[in-house]
Amino acid sequence: MPDIIFLFLVGLFLPLFPLSMVFNALFNRVQHVVLRCVLLIIWPHIALATIHLTEVSIPTWVVAWALITSLLYAIRMLALRSMGQWTSFLATSMWAMLWLTTTDIEQSVQHLYAFGLTTPLVLLAILSAGLEKRFGAAYTDLYGGLAESIPRFAGVLVVVVLAAVATPLFPSFFIMLKLIMEWSVAMPSAMFALLTIWLLWSWAGVRLLQGLIVGSASQGEAADLNLMSCWSYVVVLVALMLSGLYLSVGVL
Amino acid sequence: MMSKLILLIILLPVLSALFTQLLAGSLGRVVARISVAATLLSVILSGVLLWLSLSGYLLDKSISIGSWAIIYFDSLTIVMALVISLISLIVHIYSLRYMAEESGYARFFVLLDLMTASLLMMVAAGDMITLIIAWHFVGVLLYFLLGQDTRNPTAYRYAFWTLITYRIGDLPLVLAAVLLFQAYGTWSLPFIFEQLNNAPNAHSVFGMPLPEVVGILIALAAFARSAQFLLHTWLPYTMDGPTPVSALMHAGIVNAGGFLINRFAPVFANTSDVLQWVFIVGFISAIIGSILMLVQNDIKKSLGYSTMGQMGFMIMECGIGAFSLAIYHLIAHGVFKGTLFLSTGSVINSARKNDGVPQDELYTFVVEKRPARTRKPWLLMAAITLLVPLAILIVSHSFISEDYFQKQGAIILLFFGWITGAQLIFATYRTHAQNLWRLVIISILSFTVVIIGYTFISHAFDVYLYPDAELRDKLFAAASIEKIRFDILAAIITGTIVIGWLVAYYNERNRKGKNPRYVGRLWTMFYALISRELYLTDLYSLLTRTILSTANKLNVWLRWN
Repeated sequence: MPDIIFLFLVGLFLPLFPLSMVFNALFNRVQHVVLRCVLLIIWPHIALATIHLTEVSIPTWVVAWALITSLLYAIRMLALRSMGQWTSFLATSMWAMLWLTTTDIEQSVQHLYAFGLTTPLVLLAILSAGLEKRFGAAYTDLYGGLAESIPRFAGVLVVVVLAAVATPLFPSFFIMLKLIMEWSVAMPSAMFALLTIWLLWSWAGVRLLQGLIVGSASQGEAADLNLMSCWSYVVVLVALMLSGLYLSVGVL
Repeated sequence: MMSKLILLIILLPVLSALFTQLLAGSLGRVVARISVAATLLSVILSGVLLWLSLSGYLLDKSISIGSWAIIYFDSLTIVMALVISLISLIVHIYSLRYMAEESGYARFFVLLDLMTASLLMMVAAGDMITLIIAWHFVGVLLYFLLGQDTRNPTAYRYAFWTLITYRIGDLPLVLAAVLLFQAYGTWSLPFIFEQLNNAPNAHSVFGMPLPEVVGILIALAAFARSAQFLLHTWLPYTMDGPTPVSALMHAGIVNAGGFLINRFAPVFANTSDVLQWVFIVGFISAIIGSILMLVQNDIKKSLGYSTMGQMGFMIMECGIGAFSLAIYHLIAHGVFKGTLFLSTGSVINSARKNDGVPQDELYTFVVEKRPARTRKPWLLMAAITLLVPLAILIVSHSFISEDYFQKQGAIILLFFGWITGAQLIFATYRTHAQNLWRLVIISILSFTVVIIGYTFISHAFDVYLYPDAELRDKLFAAASIEKIRFDILAAIITGTIVIGWLVAYYNERNRKGKNPRYVGRLWTMFYALISRELYLTDLYSLLTRTILSTANKLNVWLRWN
């Protein structure tokens, strides 16, 4: 396969701007939560598998392009109000960074990274569907006050968003550290870009949370998560944290 | 056994948070007592550890769980662990009743416990990864503690300012960690410091020696955490959070900058220009914090700027090489600022009933700014003002070290002590006292007691925290500038102080009338500038709005895909 076609194909799945718009359009078109989760889980692995099948070397300019894509979506996340869009933009911003792992990291580890980055986003997609079911939409600054109206749901949402924006002990935190370490020598400018992207994720995460959990409960009665569902989220998050610690042994 | 003690001190608040969360449903508000008991146990264990350390039973040790997760307990860790757990205990006990009417009572104690654990982990971190994790957690947990009242968007707005400043401060720390790892191939701080001491200039990065770059990055991380100028705007605005959180933040969390610089003392000892910049930033922060404090009409905001000033002074102490003094300062500041915050509520409450201000000469002097005219010879008073504090400072410091006055940092500290003492006598002179000499003598005696106590306690801290005299000297040397430049500067400052006080006394004695009009106009402009907090918050708000608007335009332009 010619390199350019290969790059086009991979750039679609390990999204590079403007090809990244395809994934985001598709994710927003698909409304069913299961389909959204499937999309999130398989999308980056298609690209990673294609890279390994074709064994094409990745040019440096692609890495720079990936970083620009990641930065672009991280900035754009700041102005989002839809939780679904927020999830897909963060996925785009994170997956674009997987290009940085394609140069010298083992294939199996790359897939692990993709899982580590994507799992909180899958949880976020499920929570987003939960909000749509309860309030008809998952938008910030529309109803707010979730901490007061559905405290268990709000608590889980807070931890999932923290996991998504690379807070310590979750896999994404250690992956970010690993990438910064790897690129601090090869391309110092990439290191600064990665740090900026990380900062923007935190900012966007806080904006999302503030638009949802803060304020007085304005809507009518909404059912909170039942204990069983709450514990399920806790188990997944603890497992994610433990996998982060496990991953840290290998990457640091 | 000893090594497990420090682990237990960190684990206790984590376990307490877990049990508080799990048992909140069944125990109700009584669950907070678990949290208090665990913190009390942490205090006792920290006290035992300090006692063991002072008795010589403990040598510097570390526990390693893997390539990272190293717990390191040197003198600095032990002192800081006791301070953190003690302040946390006071805040816990205070919160039992203070937060009783608030919603999310159990959540508050869970967050408080996690914050205590993070702070303890931060001071006991023996590797860069543990330090980054703890550093990061402190910012995140503080955000949620400040936003304890989830119905209050204002509290969250300013909690966000805090979080984003802290995240900005996290990044230089990450960068420093990565650079140190690339150079030494390990995350372990004791190992890195040992290698650095053996060959300080073995590595360079961005065309500069590694210690210089790492020193700058560590200083930047410390500046963000300790609200130094340009990174300070979050501090005075976080008053919508619960008062116990303000107390914990001002008494403990903002001090982390001073701790961080102390932790990296071996790095700073091998720098040449970084500490001078640290001094300048601390100096500017101390001055601006103190000025802004004076124009506030809200007691908590005023305390916020006071903390900024104190943090500036603490950073400045690091900048002159007096690292252990910064630790002494942060402990003293923690104790008095914590007390002030925890008593603000009752002060405001009692002030509503009675302002408590006596309508006497002291009131007219302090509040109405009407100094009384005194008849003592102004030249004699000026001489006393200038010479007595200087003599006390020189005599008290000459007891602790023979070569004390050879250190530039020590001379700078003496200048501050001198100005403070002179200010005290001048203020005493301006009050309308029936027996001025008696009041002046009492002031001088108080000053002497403070200076002697301060000198000897700070010296004890120095010897305990930095038993290696060579490192102490290296830190002072790293903070020094060229001798001739320093001497010229010292001469100029001395001249300015002497002439300044002479002019002040002369004007006080021979006041002719009102100031010229242009002076009044200048003062008004200056007041407008500082009452708007140098327009920095406006500038940052504008910057934030611009970024958000750009993000929105990009989204519209790209059709939200």
